[in-house]
Amino acid sequence: MSYQRTQNFVSRRQQNWSRNQNTVAFVSAIKLGPVTHTVLIALMITILGLIYLTQATRATGYDYATQKVDTQIAELNTQKSDLEIENARLTALETVKNSSVAKAMTAPVSTDYVQ
Amino acid sequence: MKLELQKGSRSKILSALVFVIMGIFVARLFYLQIIQHDYYVGVASTEQVKRLTIPPKRGLIYALDGTTPVPLVMNQTVYTVFADPQTVTDSGKVVDVVRRVAGGNARADLQALLDKKDSRYQVLATKVTRVQADKIKAEDLNGVGFQEQSQRVYPEVGLAAQTLGFVDFEGVGQYGVEGGLNDRLTGKAGLLQSVTDVSDVPLTIGDGNINRPAVDGDNIVLSIDRNIQSKAEQALADGLKAADVDRGSVIVMDPQSGRVMAMANLPTYKPAEFSQVQDASAFNNAVVSVPYEPGSDIKTLTMATGIDKGVVRPDSTYNNTDYMKIDDRMISNYSLGHTGIITFQEALNYSLNTGFVTVLERLGDGKSITKEARETMYDYFHNRFRLGRTTGIELANEAAGTIISPAETEGNAVRYSNMAFGQGMDITMVQVASAFCSLVNGGNYYTPTVVAGVLDKNGDIKENSVPAPSNPITNSTASQMREMAHTVRSTLFGYLDKPGYYIGGKTGTSQVLKNGVYVDTETIGTYLGYGGSAELSRYVIMIQVSGDNKAMFGSYNAAPIFTDISNWMLDYLKIQPKG
Repeated sequence: MSYQRTQNFVSRRQQNWSRNQNTVAFVSAIKLGPVTHTVLIALMITILGLIYLTQATRATGYDYATQKVDTQIAELNTQKSDLEIENARLTALETVKNSSVAKAMTAPVSTDYVQ
Repeated sequence: MKLELQKGSRSKILSALVFVIMGIFVARLFYLQIIQHDYYVGVASTEQVKRLTIPPKRGLIYALDGTTPVPLVMNQTVYTVFADPQTVTDSGKVVDVVRRVAGGNARADLQALLDKKDSRYQVLATKVTRVQADKIKAEDLNGVGFQEQSQRVYPEVGLAAQTLGFVDFEGVGQYGVEGGLNDRLTGKAGLLQSVTDVSDVPLTIGDGNINRPAVDGDNIVLSIDRNIQSKAEQALADGLKAADVDRGSVIVMDPQSGRVMAMANLPTYKPAEFSQVQDASAFNNAVVSVPYEPGSDIKTLTMATGIDKGVVRPDSTYNNTDYMKIDDRMISNYSLGHTGIITFQEALNYSLNTGFVTVLERLGDGKSITKEARETMYDYFHNRFRLGRTTGIELANEAAGTIISPAETEGNAVRYSNMAFGQGMDITMVQVASAFCSLVNGGNYYTPTVVAGVLDKNGDIKENSVPAPSNPITNSTASQMREMAHTVRSTLFGYLDKPGYYIGGKTGTSQVLKNGVYVDTETIGTYLGYGGSAELSRYVIMIQVSGDNKAMFGSYNAAPIFTDISNWMLDYLKIQPKG
């Protein structure tokens, strides 16, 4: 691929302030026709669509992951509640009063107080 | 060669046809997408968008163990196991597994239920726990499903049953705190509106998604102390057994705040088994829902009224003749013989009706029960001590009772003479106990409450502030009444109390109306008292015992229950004796 110089100009401003900059502009020799343009635009739209679909699918994938975590949280909460109920039953007065330790206790004959 | 479409050629016709068809398409699409836009968006949204109600968790109910909250009512997730008989492939295995795992919760006729092939839904077991449900799920039974639901569980079984109430099958609280604070316990349902997939999994696509979390119900901490409650229930059961009756109630209050520390009734029930209760009166909390004629314990309020108005003092005297005629009725003392000039302290000691009718007379002209006397008594009883009015305690079905105003025809001298010693009016125990608290705490009336506060997410109690009390009587009157009740207790039952404490109380024995006539064959025994140190009353206890065709007496049947609880309370509250 080769390029040719198409214009050569130096503005007054550049002459004054941009002395060491490139002053040559190049234009591509390849010419794209209307069909190529249409295909390229279609291709770009397709790529953008695919990117959108990928993102949307990924977001939906997160929804399923979230749902899975939510289900796990709910199950763990249920287990926690069950354990709390079991704990409450084991420490209930009725249970404590009927325990072997409680049954072996005797009432104090007298009670003294520290003054 | 130049190709041109000739006029009227087939190509031109085809072109026109295509153009027309395209026009029809465009018109149709315009109609569907533009004109009918809202309709089809609605149809699509109905299919894709699900609105799910997020149920709130019903608040738990706690009691206190000293200062530590302990659960009385909790929520448990349970499952209903159901089957689709048309889908079940191995009914023998289903029957075997469900019966083995669910045990008593399984239906008796499982095989018959599964044989109903024309049905698509048969319940095989109810109230199956999560562990049991997991075991059944592990068997991978074809055609068997699970329905999750929440139910109330009671770790302390029947403790404080009537104070708690229960939640019915529609999820609505009935009786007790469950009924009285149903709105606070229920919470607020949340809303999840979202596009979902075929499995109802919410997806984040779409712009109309709503996620409003549910607001769970308050976790309420009652002022009920489970140890005092347990003792009160045991003492009441023992007392009723000794008296050979089946009805009784007890309330224990903190006179310095109006908080109820225990409240018990017999007969009672187990809230978890409320559907098996045959007699619905067992649900009633008689302490707040059943007005009755309290009897002689009201003499303390009559005396307080007289002292507060400055018409009598504890050592003031009157001539006791054991009988007094009021209009066409004769008022007599139950305890006869203490005749002559005696003090009002003696009248209270021996519970002489004539003494308190005399106090009522002195509220007027001192010779008869005038309207002025009746109005003064009504003002104190109804407006100041709040008898015959609902107290506002947070329990369902609180009854107001009745105090007849002197402005009414029935509010005559005979009725008010009866009211002076606790008859002729219908009031509840919680009203009497709350009024009595003001006699032993310096003259402050606190609205009775069973709620100490709410439990926050960190497990800390956010205590309710105690509202400012009203002052039905002066501090001086209250001091004199506290002393008078102490003297009464010391005179009659002092030997039963632990030494070194300051205990006071008054008995009550009230006649019951049968077919419009007071009878002696059935009476209600009451005891109303307080305890603590000489400086501070720490508890007020009120007992009531009764039975069909049974004559119960305050001194014989109710007082022993008071003594039992009172002596226990002194130790439990770690009150140090003096002297």
